[in-house]
Amino acid sequence: MAVARPYLYILPTFLFLFVFTHYPILKTFYLSLFKWNLATPKMKFIGLGNYVQAWSTPLFWQVLQNNVLFAVGTIPISLALALVLALLINQKVRGLAIYRAALFYPTIIPMAAAAMIWLWILTPSYGLVNFYGKALGLPDIHWLGHSRFALAALILVGIWKRVGYYMVIFLAGLQVIPEHLYEAAILEGASPWQRFWRITLPLLSPTTFFVAIMAVIDSFQAIDQVYLMTQGGPGNNTNLFIFYIYQNAFRFFDMGYASAVSGILFLILLGLTVLAFRMLHRRVHYA
Amino acid sequence: MRSRPLWRLTVHGLLLLAGLVIVVPFLWIALTAFKERNEIFSLIPQWLPAHPTLQNFWGVLDAMPFWRYYWNTLVVAFGLLGVQLITITLAAYAFARMEFWGRDVLFILLLVQLMIAPQSTAIQNYVTIVNLGLLDTRLAIMAPYLASAFGTFLLRQTFKGIPKELEEAASLDGCGGLRFLAYIAVPLAVPGYLAFALVSLTYHWNEFFWPLVITETSKARTLTLGLGIFAQTAEGAADWTMLMAATLMVVAVPLLLFLVFQRRFINSFMQSGLGG
Repeated sequence: MAVARPYLYILPTFLFLFVFTHYPILKTFYLSLFKWNLATPKMKFIGLGNYVQAWSTPLFWQVLQNNVLFAVGTIPISLALALVLALLINQKVRGLAIYRAALFYPTIIPMAAAAMIWLWILTPSYGLVNFYGKALGLPDIHWLGHSRFALAALILVGIWKRVGYYMVIFLAGLQVIPEHLYEAAILEGASPWQRFWRITLPLLSPTTFFVAIMAVIDSFQAIDQVYLMTQGGPGNNTNLFIFYIYQNAFRFFDMGYASAVSGILFLILLGLTVLAFRMLHRRVHYA
Repeated sequence: MRSRPLWRLTVHGLLLLAGLVIVVPFLWIALTAFKERNEIFSLIPQWLPAHPTLQNFWGVLDAMPFWRYYWNTLVVAFGLLGVQLITITLAAYAFARMEFWGRDVLFILLLVQLMIAPQSTAIQNYVTIVNLGLLDTRLAIMAPYLASAFGTFLLRQTFKGIPKELEEAASLDGCGGLRFLAYIAVPLAVPGYLAFALVSLTYHWNEFFWPLVITETSKARTLTLGLGIFAQTAEGAADWTMLMAATLMVVAVPLLLFLVFQRRFINSFMQSGLGG
């Protein structure tokens, strides 16, 4: 009885975990080896056929490229802004709670609501952005219908939604840097600039690393805003990974191919995480 | 030495600027929700509604089963939280305070849930839900989250901090095992539970994609999904004032709670790191 006790305690968790996390991961890779779609309703083993199909589909590569562009457009700007805002908030100015609430509240609202907000702000002719854009002499732009600006608009929404959250994580990182290091540096005559580059940034690197990984994973999970703002358009210019999987699975009912793309996404994220952890061991300073 | 007043002013200026950029979009849609339908089609931005009206909010109640969505959301978010509290408490307690064969491997298998995008297992989970005959139910929306690696991880940290002597003393007094867990460990972990509850409730209130995949009618649909579906209908897409009213109605309660309990929310999310 005493031996079985811990297993009984973890049983409910592992039951659910197995059915809805472990099994689906394994099953995704399994399904990816089969042709299973409307034309072939009875599953047929085709080995790596679905992966070969992805490799030779230009749209797959475009989706990958879109997602990388989305990540590259979102992450450095969000992280830099979040860090600057965290440093400013950390100055313990008056009204801190108000600033913090103002910057953090987008974390609390659904991405779907953020999508609604920005749909209206970015709408042609009557949207706020075009109002003031025109005042500055810019043309009236149909942001979400434009082949180049649509992805930029999604990047903007992504930054707007997440920057406050990343800021708060940075803030937590800043607060554990020992105060005496700064005191010592001030005695040594270090300028604020030197203190930032020599103390703050190196000691913050575990946090930065953590936020960066989170941001990469976030960017490969983006779907709500794609579904609600662009449906992947125009011309698949904003078609990102999860939306592509969704389209293939639930609109074209090509379950085998969609599983293969899910598998690839899974491997990409795993690869990035492993890579990041290696970098962590080499580069990051521990406080 | 830097002039302090000037520095303060710069800090305030920058924070104010950033704050405005983040807040103004929301302010704009909140004001839009109170405008008459034609008022928004003016070529110069009118910030304040000329004739403030509640018409859009009544319109939303007519155009979509808002209260049904609300009820579904409450059932999903709180029902799920109830189950999660049980699963994470038991698992966290075992991982924190018991020795057993395979513990470390099992713990890594638990953490796998934090490393994968829940969206990437959506296809197979959809098939499972269909096979279980749960399609288009609230239970289906909850199912993939009944176990929480994040919650287990968070509580495990708290449980680990309880001194061994306390457990031994309690055990001598006949308060061992589950009684120790219920009467001593759980009360000591209340801050951890609160943090988990806020993150879990927010996450599931806001979730869009999985409910989209797993529901077919308004029977089980949640608010956030309902908002998205409304936006795609002819009525929702054509009427900005009504759509903004609907958006405001979906976010109102969580947002008010956030403004009141700001510090608690932010501390919870600070601990969350990897989300719900």
